[in-house]
Amino acid sequence: MAWFESHLLSTLVFLPLLWAVAGLVIPGKFRKTHAVWALLGSFLVFAVSLRLYGAFDAGGAEFQLAERAEWLPSLGIAYLLGMDGISLWLLVLTTFLTPLVILGSFSAIQERTKEYYFLLLFLETGMLGALVALDVFLFYVFWEAMLIPMYFLIGIWGGKDRVYAAMKFFLYTVVGSLLMLVAIFYLAYAHKVQLGAYSTAIVDLYRVNVPGGGWLSVQSILFLAFALAFAIKVPLFPVHTWLPDAHVQAPTAGSVILAGVLLKMGGYGFIRFAFPLFPEAVVLYQPVFLGLGAVAIVYGAWVAMVQPDIKKLVAYSSVSHMGFVILGLFSLNSIAAAGSVYQMLNHGVSTGALFLMVGMIYERRHTRMISDFGGITKVMPIFAIIFMIVTLSSIALPGTNGFVGEFLILLGTWKTSPWAAAAAGTGVIFGAVYMLWMFQRVMFGPVTNPENEKLRDLSGRELAVLAPLVVAIFFMGIYPNFFFEKMEPSIQRFLERAQVKSTETAIADLGRN
Amino acid sequence: MENLVTIRPELLGLATVELEALSPHFAVLGGAVLALVLSVVRWLQPKWSVFLVSVATALLGATLSFPGLSGAALAVFNGMMVVDPYSSFFNLIFLLSALITLLISFRYLDSEKLQHPEYYVLVLFSALGMMLMASARELVVLFIALETMSLSVYSLVSFRRADRRANEAAMKYFILGGAASAIMLYGVALVYGATGTTHIQAILERLASRGAGESVLFSVGAWLIVAGFLFKVASVPFHMWMPDVYEGAPVPITGFMTTGLKAAAFAAFVRVFLSLGYGKGLSEAVETNLHHILWVCAVMTMVVGNVIALTQTNLKRILAYSSIAHTGYLMVGLIAAPRGTEGYSSLLVYLAAYAAMNLGAFIVLTLLAGKGDAGLNLHDLSGISKKNPVLAFSMAVFLFSMAGVPPTAGFVAKYLLFYSAVQAGEVPLVIIAVLCSAISVYYYLRVLVYMYMRDPIAGATSARVPVWSVMALASMVIVTLQVGLLPSPLVEMARKAVAGL
Repeated sequence: MAWFESHLLSTLVFLPLLWAVAGLVIPGKFRKTHAVWALLGSFLVFAVSLRLYGAFDAGGAEFQLAERAEWLPSLGIAYLLGMDGISLWLLVLTTFLTPLVILGSFSAIQERTKEYYFLLLFLETGMLGALVALDVFLFYVFWEAMLIPMYFLIGIWGGKDRVYAAMKFFLYTVVGSLLMLVAIFYLAYAHKVQLGAYSTAIVDLYRVNVPGGGWLSVQSILFLAFALAFAIKVPLFPVHTWLPDAHVQAPTAGSVILAGVLLKMGGYGFIRFAFPLFPEAVVLYQPVFLGLGAVAIVYGAWVAMVQPDIKKLVAYSSVSHMGFVILGLFSLNSIAAAGSVYQMLNHGVSTGALFLMVGMIYERRHTRMISDFGGITKVMPIFAIIFMIVTLSSIALPGTNGFVGEFLILLGTWKTSPWAAAAAGTGVIFGAVYMLWMFQRVMFGPVTNPENEKLRDLSGRELAVLAPLVVAIFFMGIYPNFFFEKMEPSIQRFLERAQVKSTETAIADLGRN
Repeated sequence: MENLVTIRPELLGLATVELEALSPHFAVLGGAVLALVLSVVRWLQPKWSVFLVSVATALLGATLSFPGLSGAALAVFNGMMVVDPYSSFFNLIFLLSALITLLISFRYLDSEKLQHPEYYVLVLFSALGMMLMASARELVVLFIALETMSLSVYSLVSFRRADRRANEAAMKYFILGGAASAIMLYGVALVYGATGTTHIQAILERLASRGAGESVLFSVGAWLIVAGFLFKVASVPFHMWMPDVYEGAPVPITGFMTTGLKAAAFAAFVRVFLSLGYGKGLSEAVETNLHHILWVCAVMTMVVGNVIALTQTNLKRILAYSSIAHTGYLMVGLIAAPRGTEGYSSLLVYLAAYAAMNLGAFIVLTLLAGKGDAGLNLHDLSGISKKNPVLAFSMAVFLFSMAGVPPTAGFVAKYLLFYSAVQAGEVPLVIIAVLCSAISVYYYLRVLVYMYMRDPIAGATSARVPVWSVMALASMVIVTLQVGLLPSPLVEMARKAVAGL
């Protein structure tokens, strides 16, 4: 127990993987057993993350619960874990969504369940690891390792064009990450030259002085290498094109995790790496990224509006919503930054819920075309109510979570760049248009298609999947302070780091106790 | 009678300590000769006796090489050879590759009706040649070692005598290999002419004291030697032989060539590089011109290997071109090594990691290969994961490792190699290298697409997996993952190995 208390993060990260490996002994024919086993495991992980929430000290801005072990000492690479208020909520989001998608997969996944649940839990380890790794090498390992299960999830259990989508997803991400890897080499070596010792701990790299100043200075180029990797993950216009394919082809659980957590890794990467490491370059490139963020918001909304396929519509809405995150981060003030982090959580909850619901209706009708539906309210009233709530959350109605995030981002961005804020504001309006228009065509009117007349309403299991999300939507909308009080100091700290090159002493030896 | 039974070191002109140091070489030589003798002792069932003796020999040789990893360098045979941690490190790679090759060959030869005991003997002799290559400190000894290895491998490539592709491959390999050897030998002669010696240490001394490095004779000699090596490692533009040879050779031998032979060529390449004074600023011809030539070759090798691999549909050819691509990455390390702080150690780590993952992949290929090495087209792999999940999983591990995706040995190796190249200031080269490895991801994943994301084709039966192969496969999977998760021991070993160079 003492070991558990002092290794909370390691436990959290590796529990899913170990649980999944243990589950491999269950023979493949017991399909339900695999699902139940995975569900139990994911609940356990969620419980650990709640313990983490309890152990986290809200007042501290520094990395907490650090753990350290030597890994490759000759190159200064260490197994270094730690978390702050920003990673805390992303961790909880991950552990919160995973049981829901597992429960949501019970009926949808009938083939090769053993591999399926193994990969889902493996993926959870990758995501959690990337969120708590404080060594760039370790981060990179988790960052890339996430791709493997996602690739298989899309490629094996996906839709018609799954292979194409899986390949595109993998290649896009790999190209970005590999260029980031070169930048990591450069930084790590610069640390060795300037400070005399090998280290790849993030807090040590924060102190490296990278010559900046011009659009093509070393700092700018390194920043762009990092930014490309994270922008692809976010995904930011114009490197978003893998997303619609991956989202549409992936099985429901894949889409939810992809939207709910994987995209957040991009935003998290900006916060943890790109901003504090290259503050000058961030300021220099601020207008570019504000512009791209605004374009992503509007463009994503426009393209979403004309989609005939509900899932594709939700996918493009992701591009739009994640544009807000970039906009908020690059506004470089505390209001917008807090809004961005909040928006990441919101997007995980509401888009996750949307994908789950699209999956549920797809299971019933085996189509996702808007034109195939109409009048669903009459046959599936409970479904319609929940869908309405989620839709309103997605279009940021006050009282729901979406409002808090987008409002803060627009407020903060207005201070920095009124033009970008104005453009983004139109995105909010378009967001309402495409979501409500879709809702109207699917839900209202007469039941035109006879096949829709006998649709079952939500089952108890499906309600159990959606209820926590609905609760989260309202809770986050009404009581945001619950979340902000834990992340406030970390956000302040992040902004300080992003504005001046850190001169603080390294805390890479945190965890050496 | 007494003398015949106990080996007396003084008769060989060797001190006991030297004999000890050379014990792996003698063990392999002795084992190979014993196997050769046993292959004609009919009543002992050569098939089994030779196989078991060869396996035992490779194991014994590997075990005897272990102490050398941490020992001091010891010059033997008047300094013509040296036994040091560097050579011991490579001995391990060679002998473990040979071991795995022997293990997987047994059933393969049975099913191909090629069960001739010479096969095992030739594998051992080629391993001996490789070991001598890694130890040679004299260009002529190096050449003899190279030929020992090459001649054995030429015969192994042609082992499927009845197959036309095998004959074509062997002939091509033999003629081109012979030409390359001649070019290299000519280079050795010219270097001898310029410096008056063929001993590596002595060449360096002459270069430093007499300025021989600026003579045309030396420059041309150095380039010719390097050209010979570029052929052996299959660097573009000397790579044409490779895909055909890889396709024509029996699958286990192809695996052996991609690992043992490549490692041996690089082991000797590094020694020769040092002898030409690369990185020491002794000769303009070597320092600048050779650097530029190799730079261009490295880029071409990476681009050509990866791009052509994209279009291949036969697994053997995919891995052949991927092997060319990996040669390109290794050359990046070779170019950068003298100026980086890690020196050649990252190169050694890469070779070891590559040996593990590539051998692993070839174990899988051997198990999948049908009669006459058919059944190795991508199409034939469709849906393998359903019938044979263990095989498919292993292959997935090896392919991700080759693509350099963590947490595998391939990622760690690439990380170290490219990191050391960045430290040496070769940033553009590294950017090209990582973009090329992004290309490579596509064709490695394509194999996985067939294995995991397609339905099985009718008529395919699941492979029968003999216990030898399971052992070999399991050990390669473990090594690949273990190096990926806990790279420190291997890295330390490699650092020690290059410390005395």
